[in-house]
Amino acid sequence: MESHPGIKVQELFKETETLRSAYVVGAMAGQGPDMVYGPSDPVGIYEATKSIRPLEDIFPANYLAGFDSTSLLWYHGHLYQIADKIGNHLALVYNKKYVQKPPETDVQLIELCKSIQSKYGYVAGRPNVYGITWNYIEPFFFIPFYTGFGGWVFGPDGVTPTLDTKAMVDALNFVRRLRDVEKIVPNEADYEIADALFKDGKAAMLINGDWSWAGYAQKGIDIGIAPLPKITATGLWCAPMTSPKGYSINANLKSDKLPMVVDLLKYLLSEQCQLETVKSLNTAPTLKALYHHPDILANENLQNSLLQIARGKSMPVVPEMRAVWDAMRPSYQAVMGSARTPEQAAKDMQAQALRKIRDMNE
Amino acid sequence: MNTDRTKSFIAFLVVPSFLLLAAVVFYPFFYNLMLAFGNMNLAKMRDWQFIGLRQFIKIFTEPSQPDFYEVFVRTIIWTVVNVTFHVTLGVFLALLLNQKIKGKAIYRTLLILPWAIPQYIVALTWRGMFNYEYGSINLILTKYLGMPAVEWLRSPTEAFLACIITNVWLGFPFMMVVALGALQSIPHELYEAAEIDGASWWKQFRNITIPLIRPVMIPAITLGIVWTFNNLNIVWLVSNGGEPSDKTHILVSFVYKAAFNFYSFSYAAALSLVIFLILFVFSMIFMRQSKATEAAY
Repeated sequence: MESHPGIKVQELFKETETLRSAYVVGAMAGQGPDMVYGPSDPVGIYEATKSIRPLEDIFPANYLAGFDSTSLLWYHGHLYQIADKIGNHLALVYNKKYVQKPPETDVQLIELCKSIQSKYGYVAGRPNVYGITWNYIEPFFFIPFYTGFGGWVFGPDGVTPTLDTKAMVDALNFVRRLRDVEKIVPNEADYEIADALFKDGKAAMLINGDWSWAGYAQKGIDIGIAPLPKITATGLWCAPMTSPKGYSINANLKSDKLPMVVDLLKYLLSEQCQLETVKSLNTAPTLKALYHHPDILANENLQNSLLQIARGKSMPVVPEMRAVWDAMRPSYQAVMGSARTPEQAAKDMQAQALRKIRDMNE
Repeated sequence: MNTDRTKSFIAFLVVPSFLLLAAVVFYPFFYNLMLAFGNMNLAKMRDWQFIGLRQFIKIFTEPSQPDFYEVFVRTIIWTVVNVTFHVTLGVFLALLLNQKIKGKAIYRTLLILPWAIPQYIVALTWRGMFNYEYGSINLILTKYLGMPAVEWLRSPTEAFLACIITNVWLGFPFMMVVALGALQSIPHELYEAAEIDGASWWKQFRNITIPLIRPVMIPAITLGIVWTFNNLNIVWLVSNGGEPSDKTHILVSFVYKAAFNFYSFSYAAALSLVIFLILFVFSMIFMRQSKATEAAY
């Protein structure tokens, strides 16, 4: 801010889901912040509602060439987001107090969890330390299991949902088995509970995203990051969704303000800022120049995170993704609540996704 | 001349409030009305058109997730159970506080406390308390009462019950305060005369207390019904947006989900108009049937 002493930048935090709705509503009304920062998946919605402006005419090609191609989000022929982080992905976070070597397969995972639970004992049938936990309310956290069993949310056209599949049934059965048969995950766990269990040392491992890792280290937990395990039955790695996280510019931004916003954006995307973020949050940078930086090469957790990104699958940015999430959530929860069979849930997910997409486009 | 000046003065006083009402009530209401007859959704956010009654037909005839009729019945149950408990508990506690008891001010403050805490904090705290393994409710049930733990947030019925328990806790102080005010305005001589005539406590309650607090309680109950019917915060936050499986939604949370999760703005606007009409018709009938506007004395 030293070069622009007369300009005050105001930052407004919104949780990811709230941000999407609030930003669209604000931008639709001709308002909203000058820039919006977040994961790439709402970009399709922002584009459909004409809430953000194309960036390819604002930033010269030689400037953009400095970024990894995955960090530049092109959609319908326009550049809509420039990322400062790649990933926004889930990985296996483990507490080194309990886990010396992270599991590489689902079989190893179950064995390790059981041995930890039996080592630390049980009280009233409940383990003092759970083997693993994660938020099993949100389907985003279920995706790695779905991909591990060979499934993916869309067919080859990128917009037709593919949820009523054998992979879906197998993955739902697997997750339920971990809780009900193997008993290595808590009976109930949303994001907050899973997070609190890990922070309190009551869970040895956790599946969580790169946004959370710094918090565990700050809490004094000696954490390790490892890629999610392989599903033995399929031979496939559990692949989380990955996405760039970055900046877009509001379509309502006045032209006289644009140069200042561009300056701010360049600063936020600069090597200096990205390196600072990498060091404090263990996230993957987007500037190619930083890939061989000694601090990054020497960081084991970051290297494992990069490996997880390489094994991940890009999150689709099409608005249809919204319909898929909304269709998956109730049925997934119903399976976890034993109110629906995996077979029925898979059918319902598909039917609901198709209906929501139809509603969205009619 | 004087009349003109008086009229101008009245206009001067009224116009600002009217403009404010126009901005925050009339404009949103009529915009909502317009949207309800249109097709504004994610794909047609900026170029939506009027499509007549199609959104209303869709609400009443097409299957939705969650099902409209299921949500409607749940909303009725939600409202009736909550308001019944609010009124019963509120009047009961007001009767107790209206007695000559030691430390009345402390009890009154403690009982008003749920009302003084922001709803968001109450809802999220109760959500934590309902956790299966670590929540205090199950710890009390299993440790001190020897009962099995309840899957409060995983099963639809229990999750809905959890929302009701939270809202009952949150809502009774309002009715208690209103009832207490009404009780304190009843002349004591009426009870003295009844006692001389040998009327029992129940007869005094039925023939003096209820008729005299009715003019105050009926509008409060009407308000309570409207607020409870439209109480988004508790259902949304305790059940985390209708979980599990969208089985805890009431109409207003369904509207919120349709608008801000699915971006079906016209569908949500039509649904909110349906809610408005239900409440409007109900309030009119209830006020008329209960003769709430008639004087008690």
